[in-house]
Amino acid sequence: MAKRVLIVDDHEPFRAVARELLEDAGYVVSGEAADAAGALAAVAVEAPDAVLLDVQLPDRDGFSVATALAVPGGPAVVLISSREAEDYGRRVEASGARGFIPKSRLSAAAFTALVE
Amino acid sequence: MSSTVVISPETRNVLRDPVLLVPAIVGAGLAIGWLGADTGVSGTRVAADLALAWALMAASLVALERTRWRRSRALLAAAAFVLLAADLQWASSHALWTLGFLLEALWVALLVQVVLTFPEGRPWSRVAWVATVGAYAATLGGQLVGALVLTDSRDVLSVAPYETVAEAVDRVQGLLGIAVALALLFLLVRRLLVLRGAARRAQAPLLVAAGLTVPATVLWLVWVSANGDDAPTLETVDRAVALLVPLGVVAGIFSSRLRRREASDLVVELRAEGAASLRERLARVLGDPTLEVAYRLDDGRYVDAAGEPLELPQDPNRTVTLVRVRGEEVAALVHDPALLDEPALVESVRATAGLVLENERLAAEVRAQLAEVRASRGRIVAAADAERRRIERNLHDGAQQRLVTLSLTLGLAASRNDAARSDVLSRALDEVEEAIVELRELARGIHPTLLREEGLEAAVEALARRTPLPVTVERSVGDRLSDPVELAAYFVVSEALTNVVKHASASKATVRLDREADMLRVVVEDDGVGGARAAADSGLAGLRDRLEALDAKLVIASDAGRGTTVLAEIPCGS
Repeated sequence: MAKRVLIVDDHEPFRAVARELLEDAGYVVSGEAADAAGALAAVAVEAPDAVLLDVQLPDRDGFSVATALAVPGGPAVVLISSREAEDYGRRVEASGARGFIPKSRLSAAAFTALVE
Repeated sequence: MSSTVVISPETRNVLRDPVLLVPAIVGAGLAIGWLGADTGVSGTRVAADLALAWALMAASLVALERTRWRRSRALLAAAAFVLLAADLQWASSHALWTLGFLLEALWVALLVQVVLTFPEGRPWSRVAWVATVGAYAATLGGQLVGALVLTDSRDVLSVAPYETVAEAVDRVQGLLGIAVALALLFLLVRRLLVLRGAARRAQAPLLVAAGLTVPATVLWLVWVSANGDDAPTLETVDRAVALLVPLGVVAGIFSSRLRRREASDLVVELRAEGAASLRERLARVLGDPTLEVAYRLDDGRYVDAAGEPLELPQDPNRTVTLVRVRGEEVAALVHDPALLDEPALVESVRATAGLVLENERLAAEVRAQLAEVRASRGRIVAAADAERRRIERNLHDGAQQRLVTLSLTLGLAASRNDAARSDVLSRALDEVEEAIVELRELARGIHPTLLREEGLEAAVEALARRTPLPVTVERSVGDRLSDPVELAAYFVVSEALTNVVKHASASKATVRLDREADMLRVVVEDDGVGGARAAADSGLAGLRDRLEALDAKLVIASDAGRGTTVLAEIPCGS
């Protein structure tokens, strides 16, 4: 079944390639946001099944957005970053996100493995 | 006697300088002696008055060396005068007799005031003020009221001579006197218990002496109220006991002078011993445990012996005495103002300790400069760290971000095109991924993000995991440490592990992080070939500024064949 995904990243070219990757695998990208405020607003309006969420956003960090979204019935959140998970220690775990994918290894398969 | 004393113009004032009263008191004494002899008063009685008056005068003169005791000196001199003036009762003139009667006991009140306002002329407390007023009421006031009702024919002030009223006045006077005496005793004991140091040394003899006169005075007052006051023998005893007061004043001054001699004996000791306890020794010599020594730097600032900056106090309860050597201020002694009572003591210490203080000042100056250098090195390291952090962030958010997007794009393209093109794209993709890895390592070496996020233990464990041989981490750091300490410890481990991998041919390594109180101990050991040295161009040598800014120590033990141990001790007190 086609899942609806929101992509949150402040780098527009990255959002474009991520959208193609996910759409190739059958996901429906319901929207895109460039910052934390936009992400929370889009989740409220579009109610996506999953969120691909960059850690480094211009207004707040992705961990706090993930924590805000980790409520019953909320979307599955997958954190991404140009850094390694190791650089963040226990913060990934503590955020309530489903998991973490370094951007350089982002693929639809890796994403599916975390949200399914 | 007075002609031998040189008086400077600004002190030519009777209240300031009892010396001017000497001829008068000697003359008055001789006149009283003649009066007494003329009226058949016993020689012992006359001698007692003269002895006490001259002793009071002498005490006042000895106290001239104490500039702060001006009022006490004037009171002592006044008491001597009033004591002799009371002997006008021996004169045949009724007017003079009445004047003598009025002044009969006033000297006692003056001495009470001397004691309760000693040494600076200000009452010790409100109770002391009340007791002093009580003493005047009992002596001057009592005699004045008594004179109004006295039945004695010589009394020119008598307006209503009633025997019973006069007796009642006497009794009230006696009771008031006893109350004042007991209050005095209470105040004396309390003061003795709180005084310390120089003030105690100078004042205790008078306080004890005054305390001893109290029982005698009370007995005398009790006896007088029972038997009337016409008892020349008792008056003689009373004056003899009162001699304790001038003796106490003089004894206090001499005990301070003894102290001064002790001070000059300590010159040799002051010069011989090391500087660490100079403050303690000066404090002991001056008898002021609160003494502080502030060394003056060339730029006018003051520092303590360790070179730490110090402000001279504006507090009225602290006094600052400047020490000059060859006209140049080298130090300031911050002390209890009571030491001003012993200017000669302070002066002798100032003179003898001057050179030692001068040496100490130079040492303190060097320490202050070292502290300054260390602080400035710390600021330089901190500025460099901030810059590294900025570069690391820029690498990630700029170049890394773009490379990552590029690699994903290439991957996407490779999956969608024909085989030949796909192959070219795959090779481009490999190159990009390689660049990403290298860039990540570069950024990590510039500034470890995890250290900032999660602290030293987590960052060191990540380092250990990335090291291509087994590394055991034992850690007990606890709370987060300051940024410079964490960075220094991290870089020590990072450089040491890099060396292990590059040079040691080791099979394993151990990293230990121990925090004990204010010291972080970092140990990196391996089982390799040893023989390592901290070459000037090695990574560890490059940490020198960083470590010295923190006053940290780095030791490398590396005997050939016995592995290498790198030990860093980093002070981490808050």
